[in-house]
Amino acid sequence: MTPKRFANYFESFDFEAHAEVQDPDVFLRGRAGDCDDYAILADYVLKRKGYGTRLIHVRLVGRFAHAVCYVTQERAYLDYNDRIFYRNLERCGPGIREIASQAADSFKANWTSASEFTYEYSEDRKHFGATVVKTDPPEQDPDLGRVYSAASR
Amino acid sequence: MTRRPNPRTTVKDKTIRRVLGFFLLISAVLVFVAVLAVRNITRSVASSDWVNHTHAVILEVDGIFSALQAGDGAMRTYVMSGDARDQAACREAFASVAEHVEVAKALTRGEPAQNAQIVRLETLANKREEFAHDVLGARRADQAETVRTLLAEDAGRGAIREIQRAVEKLKEEEMALLAERDTASYQQAQTTRWTVWSGVAVDFLLLAGVAWLIRDDIAARQRAAAVLQEANEQLEARVSERTAELASANEQLTAENLERRWAIQALEHQLRYNELIVNSVGDLVFVLTKVMNISRINPAVVHLTGREPPELINRPLAQVVRLTEGPGAASAPKVDLLAHALREGRDLRDLPASVEDRRGHKTAVRLTLFPLRDRDKVVGGVVILQIVRPAAPART
Repeated sequence: MTPKRFANYFESFDFEAHAEVQDPDVFLRGRAGDCDDYAILADYVLKRKGYGTRLIHVRLVGRFAHAVCYVTQERAYLDYNDRIFYRNLERCGPGIREIASQAADSFKANWTSASEFTYEYSEDRKHFGATVVKTDPPEQDPDLGRVYSAASR
Repeated sequence: MTRRPNPRTTVKDKTIRRVLGFFLLISAVLVFVAVLAVRNITRSVASSDWVNHTHAVILEVDGIFSALQAGDGAMRTYVMSGDARDQAACREAFASVAEHVEVAKALTRGEPAQNAQIVRLETLANKREEFAHDVLGARRADQAETVRTLLAEDAGRGAIREIQRAVEKLKEEEMALLAERDTASYQQAQTTRWTVWSGVAVDFLLLAGVAWLIRDDIAARQRAAAVLQEANEQLEARVSERTAELASANEQLTAENLERRWAIQALEHQLRYNELIVNSVGDLVFVLTKVMNISRINPAVVHLTGREPPELINRPLAQVVRLTEGPGAASAPKVDLLAHALREGRDLRDLPASVEDRRGHKTAVRLTLFPLRDRDKVVGGVVILQIVRPAAPART
């Protein structure tokens, strides 16, 4: 399983927003879900296949927050909105700010903040880590040193 | 050799330089306006980001309070129902509070006053979560009295009201910041508008200047063209006039030439006629120059002397004609008498003389000299010789 093959599998899935993260079986059986369901499942599957993954939560102005799964080896993120396209992996730098800006651009929207988070199906709770605020100077981004040193490794 | 600059070329170059200068100025203004506009747009975007940021803070603060209320409500419902779903809802609501608090703390990282209030809210929310945890624990353990006591104490503390006040205060401050940032954003937009419109106005003025310059140049060219056309017309008129004069002179010359040809023909005719007259005379006729050389003879001379004209022409008359007697004939040469008379312009009439022919035979003649006059000046003379016929024998 590669990120590309994973993304290809969801080509015919529908969009259906849920307040809670769906159980993977429900999501796959129902063939409908939202960005959270997709990104969290990608994180779950690809991590077990040896990929370095990060879940990024982007807060857009006047819209729902958006979640994507970044794959370090691919230097790209998986976005549920790209599932119908041939290019379903969005090439991007590893910084939260870069990912948030690119994800917001795909909505033609502004973003206010973005956070890295983790999720376990067993716990059914998101744990938010580093949060980047758009109005903060980029050099003060909390993930700056960590992410780039990991990417260079 | 230095060439004088053409005034028209100089004017043209000057105009082109000015127009180019104007266009450079217009380009500079455009670039300046574009740079300013882009800078203002960047600032506007930054202002807009700050407005969005403030909205986001307000939303997160509202989210904290809403989640707290939801958690509190779920807690009380669970106390009454004992339903596990209400307990889960309570847990989720407090998890949501933590999420909102984390985001709000991150958003206010650069604003210490607001951040301190979020931290205070976090403390209050944590206390509330601890309280809920205690109530839920007591309810799970079916300790109704403990639950009642906890809830009664909580009602007296007014914890939710305190959180609400803190939230309201924070929202008021955020609203003030929002107004301030919105004003900044508005002013940025206004500055951008003014910059763009001012730039457009300046460019229009410069374009008007260019148009005026071009119009001025066109007018100058039209004036120059009119002057040139007038000069051409004058030149054409002078050429026509001169051509007419030349044609007239040509006609006159043709007429004069014709007249001269007629005159020459008339003269030739007269000359021929005169020659006929002279040649038809039976007497010997010599035409002399001033120095008494023969310049012309008639056929009677050739006939009598047996000499052809080349033998006589340009030769002295004295070679063939001599005076034989008369006044002074013994003391001076007879020809000198002729030369003397010719110099004085006198006629000599009927003088005895003799003509010598080719064989040396002399014939007695009577000589008459007429000076040839051109106006008052003697230019030559005409000698006419009449042959003396021997007298016929007297009849007895």
